[in-house]
Amino acid sequence: MLNKLSENILDKFSMDFLRNQVLKNAYGNDDTPIAALDPRILLVWYLFFGLVPWFVNDLPFLLGCFVLVTITTLLAKVAGLVLFLFGLGVFSQTGYLFLVTLLFGGNASAVAPLLVLTLKVATISLASITVFSGLDPDRLSNGLMWFGCPERLSFSISYAYRMLPMLMEEFQNVLLSFRLRGNPPAHETIWGKIRYLAYQIKVVIWAFYPLMLNTAKRSRTTVEALELRGYRYAAVNKEVKKIKLSTLQIRYDDWLFLAISALWVCLTVFVSTLL
Amino acid sequence: MNASQKTTATQSQKLMIFVLTMSLYGLATLFTELIPKFQIGLVEFSVEYFLFIPLTLAMLFDPLSAALGASTGELVFSEIMLGQFGGLGELEKFITVAIGVYIAGRLVKDPRNKLAVGAAALAGTGLQLFMGAVVDVLKVQFAVEDFEAVAGLPESVFATEGFAFLNDFLFSGILFCMLPTLYLVPRLYGKIEPLLGMAPRTAGAEGGVNLRVAGICVLGFVVAVLAELAATAGMALIDWEASWAESGTAMAAGMVVAAALAVIVLLALKKNSERNVAG
Repeated sequence: MLNKLSENILDKFSMDFLRNQVLKNAYGNDDTPIAALDPRILLVWYLFFGLVPWFVNDLPFLLGCFVLVTITTLLAKVAGLVLFLFGLGVFSQTGYLFLVTLLFGGNASAVAPLLVLTLKVATISLASITVFSGLDPDRLSNGLMWFGCPERLSFSISYAYRMLPMLMEEFQNVLLSFRLRGNPPAHETIWGKIRYLAYQIKVVIWAFYPLMLNTAKRSRTTVEALELRGYRYAAVNKEVKKIKLSTLQIRYDDWLFLAISALWVCLTVFVSTLL
Repeated sequence: MNASQKTTATQSQKLMIFVLTMSLYGLATLFTELIPKFQIGLVEFSVEYFLFIPLTLAMLFDPLSAALGASTGELVFSEIMLGQFGGLGELEKFITVAIGVYIAGRLVKDPRNKLAVGAAALAGTGLQLFMGAVVDVLKVQFAVEDFEAVAGLPESVFATEGFAFLNDFLFSGILFCMLPTLYLVPRLYGKIEPLLGMAPRTAGAEGGVNLRVAGICVLGFVVAVLAELAATAGMALIDWEASWAESGTAMAAGMVVAAALAVIVLLALKKNSERNVAG
């Protein structure tokens, strides 16, 4: 039974599954209402929902923000794995802290501040999920560039999204070839299981040796190709930046999105003053 | 003396190192983000800290490019791509990883010296973990309201953070940082450098931690703490919010009306422009 369960989980977490989820997250949702918005507007929006909840301890306000970002996350059609990780992250963090607080003689009164903390963390993470997985990478990096982020960051984002599938596949191939040639220890007993685990970890570390060499070759090719196109000069040239960012335009939908968010936030403030 | 004999990297080679470290460490952190951690009692066994990758590269190449590449990789691959970007908090991780890797890379003068490589790997990891623990303690102290008033919370935070630090340092520091670095650095030495068109680092090239480097690192750490503790400024904001909440029901109502008006006006404008396009 337990064996079957672990096999099942391992199936779920196969390399292909991970790759698909990441790709889906990056490119799979171009047609959502969130993806159609202007990246600059979304970044401003994120600036509010990523910062303000930290500073406010007002429960109705936090709840209102949480509801709003939940709705936007649903609109952005974020991949399931990301949401799962989000849940795991939020609840393992504060839940763990709560258990330890109990251990040190705290009582149920510790719940309230921790709940507020959880709400804050959840709101902020959901806002970031909306913006950073809702947008596709090119638009995101253009938006960041408009705000004067270093060219290198937007380059990294675009590069990462293009390269990641290839890198993952290569890593998988290296791992598989290690497995084909390797002789894993028998893992029937407990001791054998530990040795098997250690062996697996070792294989992963070994796999980075060929991977490092291959990636070194590839990054040289990449950089040389970039240099040929004058990347380092283009990166600091204002004219180039202007051409690159000319595709961005703010439409009524963007303002509407901001206005509705503002309306909702004002409503929560209003409710909290009434209470 | 041809071009490949130079020991200091050119600008494009620095970019190569940056790209190399970024993609490798990014890939690794992506996995750690995706693989769930499992805990036995209080001891957390996480496959965290593929830190050996940037450590290895920082010892073999230019430490600064490798350090920046590592933190950018982590930021882009595991935070932004998975949508786990935590805003200002990420700045702390970015800076601590960069400092840890950079210091470790500077400490090694000759990558063939195994003792130095092992010690530097441990020092870099320890530094990064320690800075992370300090920031975490401060963060909880400022983020939770009435920190001292909650019974048992202060001690628990110090205990969990201290324990997590020791656990991470002994477990991941030795198993996942020192041993793999010791395995990889001698093997890659002399093999990976020609691929980027560089000569291997030799004894007495650049290296060592002098006062300037230490000063910059301390400054970076202060920035990291400040970023994480933007919540301190929140104290003032909370007061401001409280006084405003008492008197301002009317003001809040006014804001609601204004926002509602904005929505209506925008809707009307949008409809208008659509009609214009159609007509």
